[in-house]
Amino acid sequence: MTDVIRTEALTRSFEMGSTTVQALRGVDLVIGRNEYVAIMGPSGSGKSTLMNLIGCLDTPTSGEYWLNGNPVAQLGEDELARIRNREIGFVFQTFNLLARATALRNVELPLIYGGITPAERRELAADALRQVDLEDRMDHRPNQLSGGQRQRVSIARALVTKPALVLADEPTGNLDSKTSMEIMGLFDRLHRQGNTLVVVTHERDIAEHAQRIVTIKDGRIESDEVLRSAPASESVAESAPRALEAE
Amino acid sequence: MNLGESTRLALESIWANRLRSFLTLLGVIIGIAAIIATAAVINGLNRYVAEKLSNLGSGVFTVQRFGIITNRQQFIDAIRKNRRLEPADGRAIRERCPLAEEVAWEAHATRDLVRRGAEVRDVDIGGVTSGILEIEPYDVEAGRVFTPSDDEHGVPVAFLGYDVVDRLFPAVDPIGKELRIDGLDFKVIGYAQKKGSFLGFSQDNFVKIPFSLHRKLFGSRQSVNISVKASTEDSMTEAMDEVRAVLRARHHLRPADPDDFGMVTAEGINDLWRNMSQTIFAVALFVVGISLVVGGIVIMNIMLVSVIERTREIGVRKAVGARQRDIVEQFLIEAVLLSCIGGAIGIGLAWGLSALLASQTPLPAEFPIWAPPVAFVVCTAIGVFFGISPARRAARLDPIEALRSD
Repeated sequence: MTDVIRTEALTRSFEMGSTTVQALRGVDLVIGRNEYVAIMGPSGSGKSTLMNLIGCLDTPTSGEYWLNGNPVAQLGEDELARIRNREIGFVFQTFNLLARATALRNVELPLIYGGITPAERRELAADALRQVDLEDRMDHRPNQLSGGQRQRVSIARALVTKPALVLADEPTGNLDSKTSMEIMGLFDRLHRQGNTLVVVTHERDIAEHAQRIVTIKDGRIESDEVLRSAPASESVAESAPRALEAE
Repeated sequence: MNLGESTRLALESIWANRLRSFLTLLGVIIGIAAIIATAAVINGLNRYVAEKLSNLGSGVFTVQRFGIITNRQQFIDAIRKNRRLEPADGRAIRERCPLAEEVAWEAHATRDLVRRGAEVRDVDIGGVTSGILEIEPYDVEAGRVFTPSDDEHGVPVAFLGYDVVDRLFPAVDPIGKELRIDGLDFKVIGYAQKKGSFLGFSQDNFVKIPFSLHRKLFGSRQSVNISVKASTEDSMTEAMDEVRAVLRARHHLRPADPDDFGMVTAEGINDLWRNMSQTIFAVALFVVGISLVVGGIVIMNIMLVSVIERTREIGVRKAVGARQRDIVEQFLIEAVLLSCIGGAIGIGLAWGLSALLASQTPLPAEFPIWAPPVAFVVCTAIGVFFGISPARRAARLDPIEALRSD
């Protein structure tokens, strides 16, 4: 089985005037299918840069990156757009829903760029909304939904293309703790259903929902701890105890 | 992404900012409305000139002391050099030009006419030889026209224009009634159909009387206009040459001298008018062109604002897989739709305006059928030309930066 993510000596530097800032200094990371990984790190650690590279929003200065078996480090902008469309589902801290569009239209958005016919689009989007328990809110606009519901719409949008990877950037950053727990519960469920999840966060208790926590510091992987070695099974409760802790 | 989807998005966005969209479009609306309204007026005038003003029949031309004069110097020269045309000139043409099938002449005077307290001012009193009816037949509403003997014997009969009938003979049949012109009583034998007015000048304010009587009343010092009908339409140019030769000989012109008379054909009048209207249209087009460019710049500006406002939306679209061309398409279609909506409103406005002009002013405006398609082509061009730069700017946004913006 191919790995979903494989990077080799990934670096990324930025020109800031006359100086060059090394945001990533060689990252080797492998994430397998149906893994649930949290990426942690303080601000300035390079974790956002890593997330942008993993999400194909940016290309590395050097190093290799295979997403779902395809080398993507050298791709042009439009090819990256295609990869993002098919292989990656984004979940953002601020939801990033289109304010004027209904929940259904928002979820349809990636399918529109994927060239799916309107009828099929509607069906797939409705399915995705059903997966996040929002089948009764399809025709609501974002401002008619609560924060948690908005995040669920954005998760549905991430899932609708059945991507190889769901990439969430601080998904609970704008939510209260109760809603955060709901959303993390939803992630746990998605994981059990076979999705590969990468969650970027700076909160330890959010990260601990994952099987594995990768910590970034100064552009390098500082630690890579596996909390649960086996894929979480259906029987595991939503707030699973952190057993099986290993280095 | 397909075109329908882009169009739907663009319409949603335009509708969401309807007031702003409308204000943005004012330049285009006014520009398009102004140019079509101008075209409508010129179109109406064209038709009028073709149908009514140059109502010389085919193969017909007139010889006048002053032909078509288009500048001041021509006018001064003509006043100084051109001789009066006499009935004798007409008779010479009749005798010596075999290609001139029919020759007639007409003299003019202007008088105010009064009858039983009613008055018509500045009536054109035309004295005509009966041959004129063979050359440009009158549109008779009622009664009859002149016979050759009316002119020969100096019978005091008159043929009236519609305005004269309307004002001087309200509610009575004028035929058989008397009309006094300069102390002489004329019997009305018939009157013409209503022609209407052109640029505010009535075309119905005339009285025709036999030429011989006109000479007696108004003297014989006025130049006459000589109308000539060539034997066939094709021989008109040759007939004109014959007439020119006869008149030059009578006026003792040397070969190097220019003509001291003018010749007017329907084509000549049409050409003159066409030149004038083209100039008017060119000036209007230039002025409106400026307003359309300004309108386009306003559209570009508002599209740039829109791109900045929607930076995050663009970021989201790119994150979920929109390619550069998808974004270009979206914004370009929005600019084109915006501009075409402006064009459509402009067309509607122009249509109303030309209907209003036609009914409320002397200008004969006629909405040109070619205007809507041309306007849409122009508006599409404006939208593409001024929309491409904002659209490119949107497409080139870095998705990471765009997602981070607020």
